[in-house]
Amino acid sequence: MNELFQQVRILDPLSQSDRLADILICDSKIEAIAPQLTQYPSDSQITPPSGYILAPGLVDLYSQSSDPGHEDRETLDQLAQAALAGGFTHITLLPNTTPPLDTAATCQFLQQKAQTLPKKPQFHYWGAITRHLAGEQLAELDDLRQNGVIGWSDGKTLAHWGLLRRALEYAQPWQKPLALGLTHPQLQEQGVMREGPLSIQMGLVGDPAYSESATLAALLEIIAAFSTPVHLMRVSTARSVELIAQAKGKGLSITASTPWHHLLLDTSALMDYDPNLRLDPPLGNSTDRLALQEGVKTGVIDAIAIDHTPYSYEEKTVAFAEAPPGALGLQLALPLLWQHLIRQGDWTPLQLWNALSTAPHRCLQQPPLECTPGTQGGFILFDPQAPWTVDSTTLHSACQNTYWWGKTLQGKVLRVW
Amino acid sequence: MTETTTWTRHHVLSLADFSPREYDTVLQTAASFREVLSRRTKKVPALQGQVVANLFFEPSTRTRSSFELAAKRLSSDTLNFAPGTSSLTKGETILDTAKTYWAMGANIMVIRHRQSGVPGAIAQAMDHLQAGVKVLNAGDGLHEHPSQALLDLFTLCSLIDFEAPRLHCLAGKKIAIVGDILHSRVARSNIWSLSAAGADVHLAAPPTLLPSLFAEMGQVTLHWELAPALQGADFIMALRLQKERMTQNLLPSLREYHQQFGITRDRLQLCHPDVKILHPGPVNRGVELSSDLMDDPRLSLINQQVTSGVAIRMALLYLLAFPTGSPVL
Repeated sequence: MNELFQQVRILDPLSQSDRLADILICDSKIEAIAPQLTQYPSDSQITPPSGYILAPGLVDLYSQSSDPGHEDRETLDQLAQAALAGGFTHITLLPNTTPPLDTAATCQFLQQKAQTLPKKPQFHYWGAITRHLAGEQLAELDDLRQNGVIGWSDGKTLAHWGLLRRALEYAQPWQKPLALGLTHPQLQEQGVMREGPLSIQMGLVGDPAYSESATLAALLEIIAAFSTPVHLMRVSTARSVELIAQAKGKGLSITASTPWHHLLLDTSALMDYDPNLRLDPPLGNSTDRLALQEGVKTGVIDAIAIDHTPYSYEEKTVAFAEAPPGALGLQLALPLLWQHLIRQGDWTPLQLWNALSTAPHRCLQQPPLECTPGTQGGFILFDPQAPWTVDSTTLHSACQNTYWWGKTLQGKVLRVW
Repeated sequence: MTETTTWTRHHVLSLADFSPREYDTVLQTAASFREVLSRRTKKVPALQGQVVANLFFEPSTRTRSSFELAAKRLSSDTLNFAPGTSSLTKGETILDTAKTYWAMGANIMVIRHRQSGVPGAIAQAMDHLQAGVKVLNAGDGLHEHPSQALLDLFTLCSLIDFEAPRLHCLAGKKIAIVGDILHSRVARSNIWSLSAAGADVHLAAPPTLLPSLFAEMGQVTLHWELAPALQGADFIMALRLQKERMTQNLLPSLREYHQQFGITRDRLQLCHPDVKILHPGPVNRGVELSSDLMDDPRLSLINQQVTSGVAIRMALLYLLAFPTGSPVL
């Protein structure tokens, strides 16, 4: 099938190009790009100028699959459809499935299951660092690697630093990333909200910002002793951005990501105790939010993570402090980030696309996609104007755990090739 | 009631945004109900036919009994809910429970929960359903306990002007709140109400129970030692200290706490000669208050607090049921 998009806005973060052009796509392959294409197959389906954006597909660094184990929340197929609907052509699953992805067998099982899906993004997998994700004994890292995991992560902080040291040491021959969470459970205690005047007023147990930055400072010291590359997950505080900037300045082999919620919202959004905003790490204050935005713009924080985490209505319809942390994200992130950072903020589309596509590819040690003639699939068409309402008819997940449930958003992914 | 009240609040969830006028309306209405409670027949038909549901998801004796008596004195039908025997143990969500009581015709829900924010969430859900149900927070987690702070306010203002207890009665009075402020919903609500009254509010506790962040809550002075808080104080509010605070490493021992922050007769020498003591109860005798002080009627206002509680809760139920006032008293 031949398709001609006239005067579409083509974003290509790799070549730092943002331009209006005509683009001809034949059977999912970019055939030609030109300011004005006059020669194209006569049977081409023509889309006149509509304000659409054509750009590389988005790359999710880490999300949770409820399948296997909690298919009532979301099946792998629903996850795949949510990803595609949100513009994600790559999804990277955390190992916290039930059973966890800590052996070659579960890895193969998930790969085979994903293979059977009719329409899907490319799936990647983080293998567990420790057996049963228990943080007590190393998983078979090399066996997992040979079965195709992209790196290793327990999806949370590895609080046993002796074990962490061994993981970093043992994994050195393969130069694949270890993705580490940053909150220290003992400093976090029962904290469910960033500690500050508002946590005091609202009567929610505070999680101090230093539960993350103190952990990060210690981690950076340990990481510096080994050559294993590390991805720092869910960076959420202004101080962490400073520490990462310093560490990168010294040449440490690290990349970092911040969850998309933390770029858009801060503690002031919690006044209604919405359990859908119970996140881990918790939302920071406005200084944190602005520092994270600046961190992504300047590249100190490489990428924006989605950390898609479905929970059922029963699981989330509880008191804020009792709700399990996490929220949906795959279908929501791009429209909301576009709306808040580009339409209402001062980000350029290329900055956003870099943080959602090119940079996450690099964090995962994959070659980024380029929107040039010859590219076969992997790109998307986004209409930043299209309105839609977040409800059970539009979300692919069986869950509704999002702050934006029932609200109307602007911006919709129209096609994924 | 002779005057017509003006009351626009649909739910009472927090005192953070209470206006001076609202405080005075509550105090004035409570004074009328105190008069009712002094009559031979202590009951008025104000809420006849209305249903008050006491949804106490957390165990409670005094607050639940106080609300139940207040509702009965107003002639409403009351429903009580006990979490141990309820459908919550069968997996029902808190919202499902609230919706069930709504479907039964509850007009007012009095809600207590061990977690902050639950009464607010139920109020929001009821508003979303356009149920017309009023929600009264009877204590949520560490957040607030508005009716307790209002009964404290009523007790104190009545002491100064029994006939016309009003917010301004406490202007300039030094009030020391002593104890586990971090974990106290009573302290939080009292900080709002006493600050609004223009009282000179002092908070005293070890730093682990009184983080400096409390300074940002309002017009309050923080002390990590007891003496400066008690110096010249007109009133002392002692708070209950939960014994599990030791296992959380917030305190080394109850003994050391009592040594540093226990209210004893000796320490009262620092206060104003007419100092009075309040406590929301139940009291750990010998920990936050020495036993003899608690039983000394010249010093302790604890019994008056309990009595005020019924009048205040009648006032709150009444104002929620009849925002524009009613001549039924």
